[in-house]
Amino acid sequence: MKYPAESEDMYENSPESRTQAQFRQQVRAWCEQHIPPDWRQSQTGVDDDEFVRFQKSWFAELHSAGYAVPHWPREWGGGLSVPEQIVLYQELAAHDAPRLVLAFVGIHHAAATLLAAGTDEQRRRHLPAILDGEIWVQGFSEPEAGSDLASLRTSARRAGDSYVVNGQKLWASGGKHADWCLLLARTDPNAPKRKGISYFLLDMTTPGVEVRPIRNAIGDSHFCEIFLNDVEIPAANLVGAENAGWQVAQATLGAERGLTMLELAERLGNAGFRWLVQAAPVDDPVVADRLAQFETEITGLRGLCRKVVEDSENGTVGPADASIVKLFYSELLQRLTDFGAEIGGMAAHTRLAKPMSSGWESGSWLLDFIGSWEWTIPGGSSEIQRTIIGERGLGLPREPSAV
Amino acid sequence: MILDLGDDAKEYGRQALRAFEAAGGDQLVQQAEAKPDLRESLAGPVLSELGAWDLDARTDVDGLEAAAALCRSAGYWALPYPVAERLAKPTDLDVDGLIVVADIRPSGVVAGLESTWAAVSLAGVRSRVAGYGAAGPGFVAEVELSAVDDNGAGDVALGLVLPCWTLLGMLDRALELTIAHVSLRKQFGQTLSAFQGVQFQLTDAEVERSGLEILAKYALWSIATDRPEATDDALALRMSAIEAAEVVFRVCHQLHGAVGFCDETTLSWLSRYSQPLRRLPLGLSATRDELTRRVGGTGLTGLFS
Repeated sequence: MKYPAESEDMYENSPESRTQAQFRQQVRAWCEQHIPPDWRQSQTGVDDDEFVRFQKSWFAELHSAGYAVPHWPREWGGGLSVPEQIVLYQELAAHDAPRLVLAFVGIHHAAATLLAAGTDEQRRRHLPAILDGEIWVQGFSEPEAGSDLASLRTSARRAGDSYVVNGQKLWASGGKHADWCLLLARTDPNAPKRKGISYFLLDMTTPGVEVRPIRNAIGDSHFCEIFLNDVEIPAANLVGAENAGWQVAQATLGAERGLTMLELAERLGNAGFRWLVQAAPVDDPVVADRLAQFETEITGLRGLCRKVVEDSENGTVGPADASIVKLFYSELLQRLTDFGAEIGGMAAHTRLAKPMSSGWESGSWLLDFIGSWEWTIPGGSSEIQRTIIGERGLGLPREPSAV
Repeated sequence: MILDLGDDAKEYGRQALRAFEAAGGDQLVQQAEAKPDLRESLAGPVLSELGAWDLDARTDVDGLEAAAALCRSAGYWALPYPVAERLAKPTDLDVDGLIVVADIRPSGVVAGLESTWAAVSLAGVRSRVAGYGAAGPGFVAEVELSAVDDNGAGDVALGLVLPCWTLLGMLDRALELTIAHVSLRKQFGQTLSAFQGVQFQLTDAEVERSGLEILAKYALWSIATDRPEATDDALALRMSAIEAAEVVFRVCHQLHGAVGFCDETTLSWLSRYSQPLRRLPLGLSATRDELTRRVGGTGLTGLFS
């Protein structure tokens, strides 16, 4: 059945209900009017202040349309259905919207944590503030605790109505812009390692907190070290029970992985792949062959992401499905950006700046390729994902371990 | 054919490793990156002490082997100096060194140096380097050429092979560093090196590295014995060197984790300074293309023909 006012391609992805189709039209119209058309040029090579300003203003713009936190419950400012969220992320990607870099941890990890385990007071204090632009950072990894996060050593000692925290956190994305930190620290050094960790909300302006940016191979400093020296955190900022932090983190870490991965897959399939095709000498049969292969894989990825999102909603998602998506996306992204760098030749090596606020595929292929290693290493390295798929997905025995 | 360097060359390579370490080791490339004009004063004295410029890589087999060993040791420390390019200098031109260049945007790792250079294209067209463009990353500068003659076909093989020895030294070091890292770093109560998934990645990298090593020796022998196909062998070596470098550096980066992309680790420096060797004069696709064009109908001569 067709509605004359609507275009044919409303039905391009799957049979959509009339409500979804109307929502798609509404989002499209909004995107056309509100996405700054020149942001890729104007955000290339800008300084930190301008990057932060642009991120905050884009977040506010999305928020004013009700698109900033579609996954949150309605009473806190969200409330889109999962099919609507899928449509939203597809359209934002198709219109090459800027990515929410700074707000990411706040709207996903902080919110999921507060909604799942926070007190009413904590939710009232922070959820509206996040909508007003409060920036969050994750204080999880440490120098000796990367893949083996549970071995973390930062300590939190109870003293009256507060905890005194000492330690060091590493690879905190966007740490230098953060107002608040999701902090994991050890409260019981004698308990088994997963049972002595607590989860805190840390105000980054607290005395004793020092953030040092880490300059990486392409010269940017998005990752930071956070040093914590006798930092006092009020006991009211503990999330969940003392020593139950690991369980809180487990329950909330992967909470939004489905939809955030869907967004990234849509970005790869839209602007990312389009630039690759535009940059490629497509008359070369070898190049054409590789492009066809990428197109096939991206289509598979997009389908996979959609299935994980829908299965999560229905409660039928498999124990390793999110790992499969992460592994496949990471390695596909790496191969695709590598190919971009390869066909870009020497010229691609001379591009030293890419648009801030873009995703991991910006068309500055060499920088994108180096950036792609942010995917095979952090957030559960490819080795960890393979282990999860082997053990939880396929039911294979665990690797013999020293402990 | 002889599949290994002579004992003297191997001993010379070991001495060079120690000498570069004593001269500053990993600090040298870091100091040179901050001030490219210091390249000569940072690396020149130790190379002179080693007698590098007395080596005759052109007419003396022992000299050729010693030159290869020296390049490998220079690569191990990412020595910020074009040792291979200096050692490849032609005997009949009054220059300090030779770079093999592409026809488009001819470039070399010659920024910040006072030396005089000749350039040769893969087709054997020789030029003098008459001017330099701005210094880019990795000490690379584009060069302006002034034509000399078409007699450089015999210069190409050595000009390609010695830098592959430098790259081989970088791969030796990258693997050493990574094995040290995974042997030291503990996660889940055991060293990373105890995980078979980690071991297998390293074995794949080592297979690539050792394959490159044997090809590098073969291509050197091909030059030493003045074989007519020496340039084909050099191109085949170069193709393998780039392929091996991709595998080795990717494995090493993945196993170092995020810290491998930070300049606190030596791997980050090695990886960055391997780029010019992997990209110049031609990257992987263009090298394959050139090799295919030259030997496509007949294939490589090899040992058994």
